[in-house]
Amino acid sequence: MGGRRASIAAGPYVLLVPAAIALAAVSIYPLVYGFIASVRQFRYGLDLGFAGLNNYINVVQDETFTTALATTAKYVVLCVVIETLLGLGLALLVNRELRGASLWRIGIILPMTVAPVVVGVMWRLIYASDIGIADPVMGLFGIHGVHVLGSETSAFLGVVLLDVWEWTPLMFLILLAGLQSLPQEPLEAALIDGASPIRVFFDHVLPMLRPVLFVAIVLRSIDAIGTFDQIYVLTRGGPGVSTQLFSIYAYNTAFLFTQFGRAMAMVVILLAAVLVLAAIAIRLMRLGPGTR
Amino acid sequence: MRGTWWRRVLLYGTLVVAEIFALFPFWWMITTSLKHQVEIFSGLELAPTVPTLDNFFALFETYNFGPFLANSIIVVAFSVALSLLLGTPAAYALTKLPTEGWLQKQALIIVLLVRMLPAILLVIPFYIVLANYQLLNTRLGLILLYTGLNTGFVIWLMQSFLAEIPRDIEEAALVDGDTRITALYRVVLPLAAPGMAATAIFSVINIYNDFLIALTMTSTPEAQTIPVGVSTLIGKITIAWGPMAAAGVVGAVPIVIFALIVQRHFVRGLTLGAVK
Repeated sequence: MGGRRASIAAGPYVLLVPAAIALAAVSIYPLVYGFIASVRQFRYGLDLGFAGLNNYINVVQDETFTTALATTAKYVVLCVVIETLLGLGLALLVNRELRGASLWRIGIILPMTVAPVVVGVMWRLIYASDIGIADPVMGLFGIHGVHVLGSETSAFLGVVLLDVWEWTPLMFLILLAGLQSLPQEPLEAALIDGASPIRVFFDHVLPMLRPVLFVAIVLRSIDAIGTFDQIYVLTRGGPGVSTQLFSIYAYNTAFLFTQFGRAMAMVVILLAAVLVLAAIAIRLMRLGPGTR
Repeated sequence: MRGTWWRRVLLYGTLVVAEIFALFPFWWMITTSLKHQVEIFSGLELAPTVPTLDNFFALFETYNFGPFLANSIIVVAFSVALSLLLGTPAAYALTKLPTEGWLQKQALIIVLLVRMLPAILLVIPFYIVLANYQLLNTRLGLILLYTGLNTGFVIWLMQSFLAEIPRDIEEAALVDGDTRITALYRVVLPLAAPGMAATAIFSVINIYNDFLIALTMTSTPEAQTIPVGVSTLIGKITIAWGPMAAAGVVGAVPIVIFALIVQRHFVRGLTLGAVK
């Protein structure tokens, strides 16, 4: 009997082992390996030996890198702010008795389900100067002779708009679920007491929604920091370096210029930022048994 | 006041605008894919006057989409099957751990961290490692990477589905003489089947849509997947707009269908437990 109980107790751990090995192989192993690569010198993909902190020093002094970081920061903040506001607005709008509620919902959510590469294609077809629909539409508003992807500012705003299109649905989805999980009694009580809907929103809904709102913002920020696919398809970082986000520059450094060590040094610097954000997100999520 | 007509007009008006904004790019891509080359350049028709499938034929005849599609299907099928095989037992173990709480929490944190790492952090080491084992530009290389990465996602989603199965049902089976293993097969798995199907579909979406890993690990149509294939259509000087739009449609259609199937589980599958 004692033997059987022991085997039951050990059973779950045995089941965890293969998955743990698989996970470690694609996370801990590459990160350690990458960290080692970041202190070595590579040329044309060949490892030439120990380089100390040279890669890090080069990266920090590289103006293109700091510009890419600044562009990424601007991109992330702008996208996340707009997406949060729009997502919250839409969630509040849909969070009521609607005719065909699930149809409205699926329509809004669809953009986030398709591959970012396909999203890039869609917007390339819209922004294209010869066959696109963006230029004539801007013409209707009296803006002539501007090609979205042709100038630095408009290209940056163009990729932000794409991101807003693709990821507002995620904010909408999380915040709608958050709104639906709020207790209804205090809200109804406040409304019966004569509070205006706007007061009820700021005094009751927003404070209760805050944890979900924070998690949504941090999750979206982490994803936005890693944005690559759409930019690769749409602008490859141009014109100039106006849409060269961090991941595009790191990709070019590694796979066009084959400077793996230098690219890994960039990546390690970014990893620090991502880990801080991830730690915040995980704290806020209050994980527990059955977390979904 | 709540029922005044202008509020309803405002509500549905805003929703209609949001839907048009969300769906128009889909429509524009689809119509472009169905237009003749001449018509694509001739102006801004919202629908093709004479729809044609030429662009789709061109994809398969001149742009290698046969191999791309085959690679995508093979890679996605094996990666999803393998990661379900690895992840589901682990998720089951997590819901049955005697040390309820601590270890489970640590495991979930690790799984989440892995999921949050941007792909750009991982592809450089992946590239060097695959090169060492001669696995660059092979479907096997992609399958190994996707299996590992997706296992965490499977654990995450499956433990949430498994935790919803009442313990009493399994306990009752044990009392009736089942062992843990037979109870798992006879009682737990049938109840978890819908959750497992949803997990599989979300995994298909994740892996089919991946671009950066496939882009960096492959270089020829021998192993390139659909998203990489789409990006190869974007030349430096000229772009074949019709085939590119058609490629986008091929990339989007299976995913939209899958997404419609699992829309009930969207919050769980796409938001990483942001909402309890």
